[in-house]
Amino acid sequence: MEHHLLEVGGVRVSRREDLRLITGAGKYAADWELPGQLYAHFLRTDRAHARIVSINVEHALEHPGVVRVYTGADAVRAGYVKPMTMLTFKGKSGMQVRVPERPVLAHGHVRCVGEPVAMVVAESALIAQDAAELIEVEYEELPVVIHPEDALAPGAPQLHENVPGNLPFEFEAGDAAATGAAFAKAAHVTRLKLEVTRVAPNPMEPRACLMAYDAREDRYTAHVHVQGVNMMRKQLAAYTGLPEEKFRIMARDVGGAFGQRSLAYPEYCVQMLAAKDIGRPVKWVASRSEGFATDSHGRANFVSGELALDRDGRFLGMRLDWIAEMGAYLTPTGPVSHLRNPSTCLTGVYRIPALYGCWRTALTNTNPIAAYRGAGRPDIAYVIERLVSQAAAETGVDAAELRRRNFIPPEAFPYKTPTGSTYEIADLPGVLEKALKLADWNGFRERRRRSERAGKLRGIGISTVIENTGAGLFPKDEVQIEVAANGAVTVYSVSHSQGQGHETSFAMIVAETLGVPFERVQLRQGDEEHPLFGNHTGGSRSTVGAGSACHLAAKKLIDEGRALAALELGVEPSQVEYANGRYRTDHAERTVALGDLAKAKTFSVTAEGSFSSTFPNGCHIAEVEIDPATGVTEIASYVTVDDCGRVINHTIVEGQMHGGVAQGAGQVFGEHVVYDRNSGQLMTGSFADYYMPRAGLLREITMEEHPTPSKVSPLGVKGMGESGCTASLAALTNGVLDALRPLGVQHLDMPLTPAKVWHAIQAAQRKN
Amino acid sequence: MYQFHYVKAKSLQEAGEFLAAHPDAKLLAGGMTLIPTLKARLAQPSHLVDVGGLAELAGIEVKDGKLRVGAGARHREVAMSAVVRKAIPALAELAGVIGDPQVRNLGTMGGSVANNDPAADYPAAVLALGATVVTMRREIPADDFFQGMFATALEPDEIVVRVVFPVPKRAAYAKFPHPASGYAMAGVFVAENADGVRVAVTGAGPGVFRWQEAEAALGKNLSPAALEGLTVEAEGLNEDMHATREYRANLVAVMAKRAVAKIAGK
Repeated sequence: MEHHLLEVGGVRVSRREDLRLITGAGKYAADWELPGQLYAHFLRTDRAHARIVSINVEHALEHPGVVRVYTGADAVRAGYVKPMTMLTFKGKSGMQVRVPERPVLAHGHVRCVGEPVAMVVAESALIAQDAAELIEVEYEELPVVIHPEDALAPGAPQLHENVPGNLPFEFEAGDAAATGAAFAKAAHVTRLKLEVTRVAPNPMEPRACLMAYDAREDRYTAHVHVQGVNMMRKQLAAYTGLPEEKFRIMARDVGGAFGQRSLAYPEYCVQMLAAKDIGRPVKWVASRSEGFATDSHGRANFVSGELALDRDGRFLGMRLDWIAEMGAYLTPTGPVSHLRNPSTCLTGVYRIPALYGCWRTALTNTNPIAAYRGAGRPDIAYVIERLVSQAAAETGVDAAELRRRNFIPPEAFPYKTPTGSTYEIADLPGVLEKALKLADWNGFRERRRRSERAGKLRGIGISTVIENTGAGLFPKDEVQIEVAANGAVTVYSVSHSQGQGHETSFAMIVAETLGVPFERVQLRQGDEEHPLFGNHTGGSRSTVGAGSACHLAAKKLIDEGRALAALELGVEPSQVEYANGRYRTDHAERTVALGDLAKAKTFSVTAEGSFSSTFPNGCHIAEVEIDPATGVTEIASYVTVDDCGRVINHTIVEGQMHGGVAQGAGQVFGEHVVYDRNSGQLMTGSFADYYMPRAGLLREITMEEHPTPSKVSPLGVKGMGESGCTASLAALTNGVLDALRPLGVQHLDMPLTPAKVWHAIQAAQRKN
Repeated sequence: MYQFHYVKAKSLQEAGEFLAAHPDAKLLAGGMTLIPTLKARLAQPSHLVDVGGLAELAGIEVKDGKLRVGAGARHREVAMSAVVRKAIPALAELAGVIGDPQVRNLGTMGGSVANNDPAADYPAAVLALGATVVTMRREIPADDFFQGMFATALEPDEIVVRVVFPVPKRAAYAKFPHPASGYAMAGVFVAENADGVRVAVTGAGPGVFRWQEAEAALGKNLSPAALEGLTVEAEGLNEDMHATREYRANLVAVMAKRAVAKIAGK
């Protein structure tokens, strides 16, 4: 494909799913209803760490309308105790991950506030909730550990018997000795201790599941939100020890996922117990409060970083000591994403001869951590880009110039990094220069002077990043295309949109490849009547994986159709040409349409492809203005120049970039999950205390593309669903620090709330 | 929420009698605090007595040189009311920055004043303007009405009917919204009334309060310069994970200056 057929002449294709979604016609997990369904309510513990002495469910059982009550004993009896882990590689000194048991209802111990202790099943949700209050649980409180550094310290309260030292996994990457040698000859070393804060992903759709059991087929049907049906099925099977074919996953629209919705949560497995025992479907819809406490959290990385430079400002080495907080249990995605992704991109966009990182995971009495938009990539990019900007400030070199001096040069691609990954292609200087120009980097001093005259502090922050997009849990992606006799084309994929707009972009790819009108192509995601192999949506991989498979399937359809058309036309396939939905030959008047081939029997093909990581990269520049009287930061301008390869749909790419940058801005300026360090109580359990970014925070983004061709996918695309988040954390934080540095402020951790910034200004002024 | 009985009051008197007869009944007007409280199961009233649509609580007018706002007036009505915008534009402006559009479409002045949330906006205006809270049985001056966090002079079965505001010479409100909730982290209402300047502060302390030092300074010179160097005592202000009491004290001073600057600019 050499051109943008569907966006030719700048005509954009709007997202066809939006009318349905914004008019409330979407079908979400809570919208499923089944005849005879019952309702579940979970009793959740209010203790951060305790031994369960006894549970008395008698009064709850007597409550009118209650059908059954489940406790941890039921979970253990069923053997639903050990979640899947995606961490399959070995750690430091050959260490195997120690996955703690997590019975789907707490048994014996509770280890974080919100952990489910019992499930009441009743004729209505209200009855179930009323009855849950009648359950009496006696606890014996245990010492609580909230901060991961405390958890790893000697003498810390231990969460799990099989995880000594609260350390389920330790991992290292790079060359410690070579890095030590590099530091020994450094002219300058920059050091920072950084916290990438714990955040609550907060998809708009609350968590919900309607679980049914078919005794005749001995099969469960979970109506639930997914990022891909296969990943949900695999986890449910792993958690319950049942074969994967025992699960049918029903999912339509998904109201935001961000990695959080890729998980099979324990609640769904408890619902399985009830649906089978009682023989009626069991529905559960979480409240927002339950969401804050028990939907997996993101980030929570604590990193000490060092960057060694020579006299000319060239990077000699970088060393990281990284603690990845995991919460009270390991999720399938938490440890793997917070170790693998940062180590893959440990060198950032720079040629750094010596690298070493050591990652320790830590269990604490908090809600578990899982992948969250970027899943370790924003974290490593934040660490590197903070270090580089700090080094620039310390050595008096312009922050853009220091980057320019250390970039991996275009001619060095494909670039094999010291930690073993291979960056395919990028033009980092090109990206940088374009961004500097767009942001008018050189005009900043004058703008700063103008702000000063108005009593404001102005700063400019930059980040240049690269990231590996997800290669996926499954080794290949399948897509099926079916043609109807009327010419309608239906595409089936596993990859499931949570807002990304697959219905538009995948249909565009197929329509373009087939040369048929866009309107004639429809996408069905996660259709269990058309089971396929393939990956969920996550790790910025959908267009690279499933999107490319759409293209391959369309080409296969054309080829297989050619043979069928040749039969109809009475010629050899080599004598048949295909264009725009129709086969023709020089040897006959007649032509055959794609739909004609579906008249006698189904005309359908399935194609597959395996696609490795792509490496989207970019430069973001944020200019901020701080009101020293209140500490309020305003984003004065935000520039992005990104290389995400070929763009299928610009509206969707821009939307992803907006969303990612805004999500990063939310984390930088306020989002933060806080647990009380003594009691382990969740202090940010509602939107009254948990900040979410408002539209006014980020008023405008100036965007440009700087594509380099990728050969990973036949489409030439690179993943880009997370790039906005990856680059924005550092760009914005660096901007704020640049504004504050003249006062003497060297370091602040997120979130940069008005109160925190004001206090930093006050402290600096007192010192001066 | 827990089960409760819903009662739609036909008159104020009926609502009052019902409250008197049922000690665990609660009034429902806009429900912007009550409903979330019920949803979180933090309250278990026996009955909700809906006074939301009562004609006796409606109406916004100027009478005898005073602005009378019915307790049932929605925030949006106050924000948009030509009467309010003419008489006390600062009050309309304040109503326009309460919560969000959904809250402003439902929440009522009577509900806000009776609830006396320490971070609500209206109490600052009521106190700074020296308004009078009129109930079914008496008139309560603002200085006596607010009694600290969620506490007022109201009897359990007493219903706010309207709030009567003397029209000030000039007034302005400056609010620093809490980054998460949007409530006032510090809101300062400054009014130049017939009998002098009053400065009321909401959000920063355990309840709305007057900043008398600022009132004295502004009484002599109603300009931001008069507040230079003045700060409220941080001791006694609210402190939580979002903001220290020192930060809140600073916000009070900054918001006061901004309110005065707005007045001076008029």
